[in-house]
Amino acid sequence: MRLFHLSLAATVLLLTACQTARAPQQPRPYPEPPVVTPGGGSQPAPEPGPTSVTPVLPELNPPPVEVVPPMRPIPNYPRRAEEVSSPPVSALVRQARQQRAAGKPEQAVALLERALRIESRNAFVLAALGQAYLAQKNYRQAENMAQKSNVVARGNVWVELDNWRTIAAARRGRGEYASAEVAQAQADALDLWLNPPSTPQP
Amino acid sequence: MAWNPKKLKIAAISALLLVGSVAILAFATYLMRLDGQIRERFAGARWALPAQVYAAPMELYPGLALTAPEFAHQLERLGYREDALVATPGTFAAGPSHVDLHLRAFQFWDGAQPAQRLSVQFNRSSVKELQGLDDRRALEILRLDPALIGSIYPKQGEDRVLVRLDAVPPLLTKGLIAIEDQAFYWHMGVSIKAILRASFANLRAGHVVQGGSTITQQLIKNFFLNSKQTWDRKLNEAFMALLLEIHYEKQDILEAYLNEVHLGQDGSRAVHGFGLGAQFYFNKPLDELRPHEIALLVGLVKGPSFYNPRRNPKRALERRNLVLGVLHREELLSDEDYAAALDQPLGVVQGRGGGVERYPAFVELVRRQLSKQYQEQDLTHEGLRIFTTLDPRAQEALERRIIEALPELEKSRRMKERTLEAAGIVTSPDGGEVLALVAGRDVRFPGFNRALDSRRPIGSLVKPFVYLSALQRPADFNLHSLLADEPIALKLANGRIWQPKNYDRQLHGPQPLYMALAQSYNLPTVQVGLALGADVVLQTLREAGYQGGAQPLPSLFLGSLDASPLDVAQMYSTIASGGFRAPLSAIREVQTQDGKPLTRFPIEVEQTLPEGPVYLLTWALRQVMTLGTGRPAYAALLPTQLVAGKTGTTDDYRDSWFAGFGADRVAVIWVGRDDNQPTGLSGANGALPIWARVMRDLRVRSLDPIPPPDVEEAMVDPATGLRADAACLNAIVVPYLAGTAPAEWAPCAEAEGFFGREGDSPPLQWLKDLFGG
Repeated sequence: MRLFHLSLAATVLLLTACQTARAPQQPRPYPEPPVVTPGGGSQPAPEPGPTSVTPVLPELNPPPVEVVPPMRPIPNYPRRAEEVSSPPVSALVRQARQQRAAGKPEQAVALLERALRIESRNAFVLAALGQAYLAQKNYRQAENMAQKSNVVARGNVWVELDNWRTIAAARRGRGEYASAEVAQAQADALDLWLNPPSTPQP
Repeated sequence: MAWNPKKLKIAAISALLLVGSVAILAFATYLMRLDGQIRERFAGARWALPAQVYAAPMELYPGLALTAPEFAHQLERLGYREDALVATPGTFAAGPSHVDLHLRAFQFWDGAQPAQRLSVQFNRSSVKELQGLDDRRALEILRLDPALIGSIYPKQGEDRVLVRLDAVPPLLTKGLIAIEDQAFYWHMGVSIKAILRASFANLRAGHVVQGGSTITQQLIKNFFLNSKQTWDRKLNEAFMALLLEIHYEKQDILEAYLNEVHLGQDGSRAVHGFGLGAQFYFNKPLDELRPHEIALLVGLVKGPSFYNPRRNPKRALERRNLVLGVLHREELLSDEDYAAALDQPLGVVQGRGGGVERYPAFVELVRRQLSKQYQEQDLTHEGLRIFTTLDPRAQEALERRIIEALPELEKSRRMKERTLEAAGIVTSPDGGEVLALVAGRDVRFPGFNRALDSRRPIGSLVKPFVYLSALQRPADFNLHSLLADEPIALKLANGRIWQPKNYDRQLHGPQPLYMALAQSYNLPTVQVGLALGADVVLQTLREAGYQGGAQPLPSLFLGSLDASPLDVAQMYSTIASGGFRAPLSAIREVQTQDGKPLTRFPIEVEQTLPEGPVYLLTWALRQVMTLGTGRPAYAALLPTQLVAGKTGTTDDYRDSWFAGFGADRVAVIWVGRDDNQPTGLSGANGALPIWARVMRDLRVRSLDPIPPPDVEEAMVDPATGLRADAACLNAIVVPYLAGTAPAEWAPCAEAEGFFGREGDSPPLQWLKDLFGG
């Protein structure tokens, strides 16, 4: 039995190696850990707690990733705060949107913080807070909120798209252009995947 | 040379004229000086206005965990009174499953909320529905007006809440004039008639029974002069009163008087003006006072100490009824209202000095945090409105549990009464907000602030940070790494030998890392710490928010670093929020005196510790509660409440600590003695029971046991630490950073079939994916 395990593990390793060699640039949006998709076929990211073959150490700033338009089916994640939030939180998020549209980002922050006190790990609220800080040119907090939103988003690519845009803009605002490019690439890749151009990709 | 009579006459007249002119000049100068003083005093800001400090407003919305009786209790604490009609703001009517209320208007930082009539329906343990009482429109969320919890006034200083004349109930102004100065609207500042009447009365009585001072004179006396009864003071007072009346309207003088008058004393804090008087005695705004309450305040003007309703209730009641009689006689009160008012008790809120629940320890934290942005003068003079993070429900629970536990502990340990002291803090980890703070068992006493200033060794509370440092090195450590529990002898730089021992003086054999933490074994912790280096552990502590000056020495691993309960709350809050550090704050917003937004203190977060290792540590801290030193917590908590925490005990049982958290609350409790003598209490039997009861009262939400993306769970055989499957008895599921779970199978594992096995290694999972298994 033990021998069988060993030989199986060896086979698996070999296959993995082949796979990597054949398709070294498998597209994968951050921050999901690299998922090996056998045979070049498409697989939705397992969730939660995806299985991966390489340990992913958490990092504050993601490493540069080469981005190629992905061609995976879009997972069925909620797109708006109202889909996952309780009525009072939805109401506050709505009011915050109005305040921000009215050019009052500080009022929006106050409303979103009220929402956050009710649902402290609501990724949409955190993402909106990041955007409101961005509007206030508080770039450090804009990025921090977006990062935290990404952590609690648990793979919701719609929220992540918003957050990477916020992070890219915040870094540009701070004059950190190189790292802004990295974030922008993440955003672009997600955008291309989630909002593909009308002509289908080959 | 002889003077002729004519010359003499001229000389005399000249001299007289000269003396007269000098006298007139001197008198004019004197008047001008007084006039200058008056103008200066009345121009611009007349008072140093202390900052008013508010608690966080209660957010009211469907789904909020709250019962009808709890809600009614909160309304009472806010000074709302029962009234079946809920006709005026500040009233409510409570039933078993609903509460109607007339919400007060309030100018919040982000906008005004008007007064409105509401109906709140309750389920068994939460708010079911919220609707307008008049239009039956469903409402999504509303805020109650926040409680006023203190003020920041100068030392030995006056405290007041400014009111405008048009916001003062007419009964109060009319009653005040009827009692204190009936001719107020006719005299020129001084009333000869009143002086004669008073003199006659005093002569007849043989001592001073009546004052002849007008309201204007009283105001002058309070503004400029001391209370010594001397002739020159009386003269000054009379002239200044005349001058004041020349310069200012009666209404201005009356408004100034209403805000100036001294109405009571709370230690070093002098209660001035009817605005604060209403809060101080009745815990509600001035415009909500009823006739018997107004009468009490009006009666107090004559002698706030002599008629102190808290100390001399009988005397105060007589005085109040006398005032009610005058109001009735002057036809300011109808027969009915008069009779009803006489039947009312004094109605003064009880409590030390303030009556209104004031939180001096928390306000001290507010003051310190504000002093980073504001000058002392701004805080004590500008009448700022400070909106804080204090959650009155959390504060009430923390106070109650500490106050009731200390005598119990003293009794069970046969200690002298009032030997023990305690401090505690409750925070919300994700927002970094301080929700409650207790600085000692006398919770209303603004003395030594143990929560902020008592820096004590934290003992085993440091261990999670030792293990968190280890878990950030997945190549070397995971939760199931076996650690040696063996004697250690370390030669220190000073030549002495350090030989730490386990708490129970026993050796327990090799321990999995999580178990060493759960049982708080010292030796494995030191082993890990030595392997990492003290500087690495210190760095982790700093990333969690520790700001003290501890040295990177091996004794650090066992908690020989001093920290205040606030420091500990900061460090544990960072763990509780998944590695995102949010500097603990007590302030949300600051408004100007007239309600304009001034400053916000937004929530700030920064990821300083990686999420995966923090998740693993939190898992281990959960084991502390289920199979380690934290188990007694479940005497108070529900078995379904997933919480994490750590006990801390220092040498000779001098300090008893507990720090822990659920999903939405962090709480830290310290119990010990001010003279730093041993108490015989460990963290588990001193601080822990208080912590657990507070957490139960707060209905702490369970931790979210969903691992982050870079963590995977594996079944492990506890005996070997190797991978297990369903065939292994006692197998446990342990989280690992992805890719670091043990690959080798334990002897107990039996393959049941290739794809059916639980806890497949990643490559097998990959194969399953490949074949669609």
